[in-house]
Amino acid sequence: MKLSTYEPDALPPGVRRLSYGLFCWLNRHTTVLRAFGALLRHWPSVGGRLGLAARASAVRDVLTRTRSFSNTAHAANMVSGDYLIGMDPGPTYSADRDLVHARLAALDVPADSDAEAQQRIKALSGRGVGAFDLIDDYLMWVVFHAMRPLFGAATGAVVAGSATASAQGDVDEGLQRQYMLEIRYVAGQLLAGSLATLDLRRRAEACGDALQARIDRVSGPIGAAWGVKSASEDIERNAVGLAWISHPVTVQSGALIVQELLGRAKVYEELRSKAGRLGEPGVWTDPEFRKIVRNHVLELMRFRPIFPLLARDVPRDTEMKTGARYNAGCPGGGKVSLLSIAALFDPSAVPQSGRFCPDRDWGKNDALRYLMFGYGTRQCPARDHAVEILTSALIGLLTLPRLQLARGEGKAIAYDGPLMLRMRMRTT
Amino acid sequence: MLEIVRQQMICIVAPGWGGGAEIPKQLHDALDALLEDVAVVHFASIGLLPALAGAPNQQPVLVLELAVEEGLRPYDLLYRLVYHPDGAMWTLFGAMVAPHVAVPTAKDKEQLLNQLMSWHSIAAGGFVGARDRSVRQIKMESDLLDQTRIEARKLKPKYSNDRTAFALALARWAYANPRFEWAVKPAPRSYWRGKGASIGAKLAYPVAAIVLWFVVLGIVWALPRAYNWFFGEPGHVGRAIEDAVTKTSECLLTMSWHGLLAFALIAFLVWLFLVPLPAQFVSWRRWLNSVQQELDRPTQTLSSLATYAGGWLIGVPLLLAVAACALAYTVAPLAYAVAPDYMINVVEPKLPKLTGLQIVGIAVVAIAAVLCIGALFYRLNRRFKKLSEQFFHPLEDDVPRAQQIHPSIERCEADLVDGTQHMFSLTELRGPPWWSAWCIRAALRIVTFAGRVFFTQGWLGNAPGIHFGHWHIIDNGRRFLFCSNYDGNFGGYLDDFINGAAVGTTLAWRWTELRPRAPALPEQPGIAKPRSFPPTRFVVFRGVKCELRFKSYARDSMLPHLYHFDACNRTVDQINLATGLRDALFGERNEKNDDLIMRVIET
Ligand code: HEM
Repeated sequence: MKLSTYEPDALPPGVRRLSYGLFCWLNRHTTVLRAFGALLRHWPSVGGRLGLAARASAVRDVLTRTRSFSNTAHAANMVSGDYLIGMDPGPTYSADRDLVHARLAALDVPADSDAEAQQRIKALSGRGVGAFDLIDDYLMWVVFHAMRPLFGAATGAVVAGSATASAQGDVDEGLQRQYMLEIRYVAGQLLAGSLATLDLRRRAEACGDALQARIDRVSGPIGAAWGVKSASEDIERNAVGLAWISHPVTVQSGALIVQELLGRAKVYEELRSKAGRLGEPGVWTDPEFRKIVRNHVLELMRFRPIFPLLARDVPRDTEMKTGARYNAGCPGGGKVSLLSIAALFDPSAVPQSGRFCPDRDWGKNDALRYLMFGYGTRQCPARDHAVEILTSALIGLLTLPRLQLARGEGKAIAYDGPLMLRMRMRTT
Repeated sequence: MLEIVRQQMICIVAPGWGGGAEIPKQLHDALDALLEDVAVVHFASIGLLPALAGAPNQQPVLVLELAVEEGLRPYDLLYRLVYHPDGAMWTLFGAMVAPHVAVPTAKDKEQLLNQLMSWHSIAAGGFVGARDRSVRQIKMESDLLDQTRIEARKLKPKYSNDRTAFALALARWAYANPRFEWAVKPAPRSYWRGKGASIGAKLAYPVAAIVLWFVVLGIVWALPRAYNWFFGEPGHVGRAIEDAVTKTSECLLTMSWHGLLAFALIAFLVWLFLVPLPAQFVSWRRWLNSVQQELDRPTQTLSSLATYAGGWLIGVPLLLAVAACALAYTVAPLAYAVAPDYMINVVEPKLPKLTGLQIVGIAVVAIAAVLCIGALFYRLNRRFKKLSEQFFHPLEDDVPRAQQIHPSIERCEADLVDGTQHMFSLTELRGPPWWSAWCIRAALRIVTFAGRVFFTQGWLGNAPGIHFGHWHIIDNGRRFLFCSNYDGNFGGYLDDFINGAAVGTTLAWRWTELRPRAPALPEQPGIAKPRSFPPTRFVVFRGVKCELRFKSYARDSMLPHLYHFDACNRTVDQINLATGLRDALFGERNEKNDDLIMRVIET
């Protein structure tokens, strides 16, 4: 297991806060990133010099050359030890990837996510909705329950961090919340990247250590639930990885798409009226409506991808096809960055790229539609599950009276770096 | 920047301790296990403070001191400690938050966390000796040091005289050992110890701030002109705005220049008086030394009184006059802008008109006069021996050398005799507490800043061996708590402070006193007689230099610890040595690194 030994900040005081602030600001104002991306698409050679790929073809090219552009760029920000997303291909990678697929096969989405979304919406309506927190009162739970089969019978033990009898079955909701906070900060470090300020990084490390310690204590029940006989080290690595990679990213993605949807009043109204016409339980059973909502989820994610930027290590000297006349040289030992958000808006690959168009015909570029989940062999294995969960969550929200951000009592959205901590909503 | 240091040293001050004067063995072990497992706490101690006079709850106050790695926010640290499944924090504090709850729920823990957050205080100021090192890093580097010494013993017969070959063989061994793979990367260093270690880098901040200020003023001055150039001649309002902006920015620009010049001149004079003049003239050096000696003199003598009076009569007015001149010169442009006629007709005629040559002449004469007076006093001193003896004779008795030490404190010191020593000292703020608290905070920020930016090699001034030393103003500014984890013994530690960091220590403690207080529990020390911190002169002189009085003051203020945790149990020197060895073994092979390796294995 990786032991975090922190590194003090080698940058002059103030510089990191400034650059990190800028990074977070850009993350929240994706239009600026898109504008920047448009410039780089226009002058790809400039991007090449900066080690940035912006055109769809360039991003795709880098993401498929997994040997020349390595995922190990993530490793430095994985505070709870090595895991699939930061590994180079090899036997461990293949075994872990198989295990993820096996675990994902155990999920029962959208049935589970639908059921939890319905239950939460009922509870919210029961207490008269009014104001609620989209993350804490809704998304967090919908995703948690949809993901339960990842740990199966060991979920209670993982959440309680204990293999005792009292930790079997459903454990205290307070403990569940605490567990979800812990994994949120671990995942947050992957999103924040190496620019994160020392205190954020240290918090992630503390949570990463706690997560490792927690899984260490319950690796027996996890192995039993998974029905595998691997070494406890392998079980631990996969359990720790699955814990932090699955839940927080999906919750944050959900919050981002709701934020984007609320900013598009017409789209939101149209969806709501469709939902209204179908009524309960039609919204949940009508396959056509589900397809429409799913398309919306994907289009909203295109506007607000959780990873607008992806990084890759360059293990040895190579060249990157940026789309300029000459390829850009990438010296070994360096890094390249991929502006996925720029690729998602590349007019040469995405018809009417600037428009919000959920039922766009992507034609031969259909695979690009999922670029917010990565691309090629390293694409997110939980892509379809995540989209289904978010679709369930959005359908649930569409059955509520009209929602808006609860301004007035302080800020509706509380950020913690690039993460959203809270998103307070109220019905109008 | 200072917060990152201050939050490395936390005290949780929890009123209403219902336990005894000892921590049960089971809790002791549980705390050890917790801190060992969490692995970010360097030192932890528990002590008991007597309740504040007049507080509703007269039970003792429990203090948990935590000295932790850099960058952790107190909330994140306490969160990790409270939610640790072993539950040691609940065993310690649970009864003070929710009595009779043996197994806390998540809600109870949340309540405990909130309570601890309301009880916690980050240091008002502090110093960290072995900087930039995590607990795990210290342990790993110590292991490297131990293993290298063992290997060196084995290799010694083979390379007894050839240092270079010996060092190379050790480096090869270390490289080939997979256990030390982590050490290939140079030990991480924070900015002020790494890229920012040079004086140039340290000066870059103020210089950048000044340049930025002038650039901003320049831009403000140029903006209306640029506007006019772009859009043509302005109207009435535009012209008025341009006029106002021009006047204000020009006035600010001149004031800034004047201020900068005045500052530079004062800095030059200070440098001249303290560096080249003492180096050039023996009498000047003697005079400077004797002034400092007299101001610092622990017992009152005619000589020290005379110097003190001289300071008030000559030094302070002179300094005030210089400051007033600098201020007047700086704000003069404002006065000219606001009331030009008054300045030209009334003030200017009254100002003496001196040429540069005349000013330099006056300065030279003043310096010569001081030199002559110094020489004259020196001669008089030697000539009239008897008179001089009387002049320097102590007018008061020092405190007795023998000092009663409370048995609980002695026991604590004996317990830690083989490891890092620990000290809790509790005093009260004197005078109006808000004023004392303000002064202490300001002084401690200066000490912390100096420690963070300048004293980056493990020494605070000339005082070595401090792991974590920190000060807290607690109980709404009424009491002052000092906690220290240090190498060596108490006497030597205070000597280091007296000789090595006298100004900082005096500044930190001069606003405190000891008032009579009952012991927290019968087995603990109390204070019978009131006493104040040794008197100081001009804020920073004397104070801790009254050695015996300071030591007895510090001793009397001490409280024993009930629990002490030391994650690594290494001295600051050993820690530095191990880090140096790591960098030398895995660094470039050169004379310096070879020497360091040899020194480390021979130490
Ligand atoms: C909306 C939710 C999600 C988004 C937006 C998302 C996004 C991504 C992206 C962009 C990558 C590729 C990173 C790269 O190429 O550098 C990735 C990889 C991965 N994701 Fe997700 N993800 C989501 C949910 C999930 C969930 C629920 C799981 C649960 C198992 C998961 C597991 C993984 C794994 C294991 C990888 C690494 C794949 C590999 O490198 O082979 N993700 N994800």
